[in-house]
Amino acid sequence: MATLDFANVLAVGILLGGVYALVSVGLNLIFGVIRVVNFAQGAFVMLGMYGTYAFTAVFHLDPYLALPIVVPALFLLGAVVQRLLITPLRTEPAMQIFATFGLLLLLENLVLAATRGTAFSVVSPLASASIGVAGVQLSAVRLIALVAATIVAVALGAFLKRSMLGRAIRAVAQDRAAARLMGINADRIYMLTFGLGAALAGLAGCLLTPIYSLSPEIGTSFILPAFAVVVMGGLGSVLGAYAGGFIVGLTEAFAGFYVDPSLKYAVLFAVFIAVLIVRPSGLFGQLGAEEVGLRAE
Amino acid sequence: MPSDGLTLAGSVRSVKAPLIRTFAGELPTAAAVVAVAGAMVAFWSDDIFTLNILATMFLFAGLASAWNVIGGFSGQFSLGHSVFFAVGAYTTANLYLKAGVSPWLGLLPAAALAAAVATLLSWPVFRLRGPFFAIATMAFTEVALALGNYWTSLTGGTRGLSIPFRLGWANMIFRDRLSYALLMLGFATLCLLVALAVRRSRLGYYLQAVRDNEGAAAAAGVSVLRVKLLGMAISAALTGVGGGLFLMQVRVADPAALLSVFDFGVKFALIALIGGLGTVYGPFLGALVVVPLEGWLRAELGGVLPGANLVVLSICLILVALFLKTGITGLFATIVRRMAR
Repeated sequence: MATLDFANVLAVGILLGGVYALVSVGLNLIFGVIRVVNFAQGAFVMLGMYGTYAFTAVFHLDPYLALPIVVPALFLLGAVVQRLLITPLRTEPAMQIFATFGLLLLLENLVLAATRGTAFSVVSPLASASIGVAGVQLSAVRLIALVAATIVAVALGAFLKRSMLGRAIRAVAQDRAAARLMGINADRIYMLTFGLGAALAGLAGCLLTPIYSLSPEIGTSFILPAFAVVVMGGLGSVLGAYAGGFIVGLTEAFAGFYVDPSLKYAVLFAVFIAVLIVRPSGLFGQLGAEEVGLRAE
Repeated sequence: MPSDGLTLAGSVRSVKAPLIRTFAGELPTAAAVVAVAGAMVAFWSDDIFTLNILATMFLFAGLASAWNVIGGFSGQFSLGHSVFFAVGAYTTANLYLKAGVSPWLGLLPAAALAAAVATLLSWPVFRLRGPFFAIATMAFTEVALALGNYWTSLTGGTRGLSIPFRLGWANMIFRDRLSYALLMLGFATLCLLVALAVRRSRLGYYLQAVRDNEGAAAAAGVSVLRVKLLGMAISAALTGVGGGLFLMQVRVADPAALLSVFDFGVKFALIALIGGLGTVYGPFLGALVVVPLEGWLRAELGGVLPGANLVVLSICLILVALFLKTGITGLFATIVRRMAR
């Protein structure tokens, strides 16, 4: 019995980890790589969810088919936000906190005003399907999120490491002036990266619609776990942040089961604060990575 | 600010930073600000609606001033001040409910406990900088929220605590709204005076040195951690008093309300920013603008479109962060400087 409990909690934790890894992959790019403090990231995920809902409501198609529309739309939104909000505040992390917090509040309440507080949920034929593995039931939609998180993390890691564009992004993040001397259009790279981060939030939102019911506040509830994932896993390390998702998911699941369900966030964020204090660059990040991009310019 | 008329274009700043500005030297200005606030209370003394807004305004003026001591003077962007606020509120409430301690006396342990909690929590996280500090303090709010909901014997859990309506001066429970407005004005005055004293003391200059360049401050002999902890303790103690007063005013509170990031944690910072970060009177001005604006928006728009008031407020926040980083006081200073030319 105890082993089955353990296996169940483990499965819940891993699936939850997949969700967290997926939600934070965009933030990893925005905060982990180009060091923009983006509290609005959760709101981007929330917009992705509502966009998917609107798509299914209008076309009566499966929510997963909304991806080709939602992801580019969020990319555009991200690029615009970067241009209007982040560029003027590039060297001021403190003001970035205020501006993106304002944006989070703005998007959340715009959606609240538009929907007048009605909660929606999206029905997917897959939503109730599950696969049994050794007596543990795994929900299909959560498995899809897990697989997607894995694919995105691997692809993003390879993109940053191998492609010219990825190298340019890392170069700009490390030393903007030197990157510009190498002929990189730094402004365009920032815009592209931020857009990409927002697009990944849209992807996450789309894949989460069959799992969570929609509410404007869901973005706010995702933002702190997402920061925890990015920081714990390791700043600037895509695979580290992927692992961070599972650390957060498993901590939450095990604390919820073995400590107390109402204390799971207390345990989770206490662990997060502890990691932040002991190793601010995260478990898999480069030492000192938390300082890059925060240097006085 | 008196202008001696001799300032040359390039040296405006250096000439205009006279060292004669001491705590005592600024008291007349502070007294004038408090007198204006008092006049507002007197003017609207039989308008219950306005008195309520004034009470909230003064409460937030005080809380934003308190936040400003560490967030503005020293640039440590805490998003976790709602924790100290809640500690103050629950200390006052529990002492009153369980031991019959008058809230007037309960405010002292509330301040002490809030300062102690703040010191213990900040000690480790003060090694984090900028956004990392902000995120860590925001995480404190989440831990406190979970603990608050769990620890029902102290907080009443999700159902919350309520203070029975027992009228009386000693119980800090009044029938008229005027008393609450005056009470909150007293709190705001206390915060203003403390902020002014800190600003004009050695500690205040240390705090600013730490904000401007931590490394240079340390090299100049400033004990950075000690200074930050001291600033945080003062800030949290005042915030704890504010929490106690708030609880006695609304007489009901649950962890979710007290630890709301938007309603308290971020709002302290927002008001200080809109008024003018790191200035003594900025938080006052910020509260003067933000609280009535929010109240008005909620009354006008809240019923029509849910969230519309916060839409307007968040747009203000974004615009201030983008175009008015020095806040309203900075705007005034710029206008005064332009006119002096």
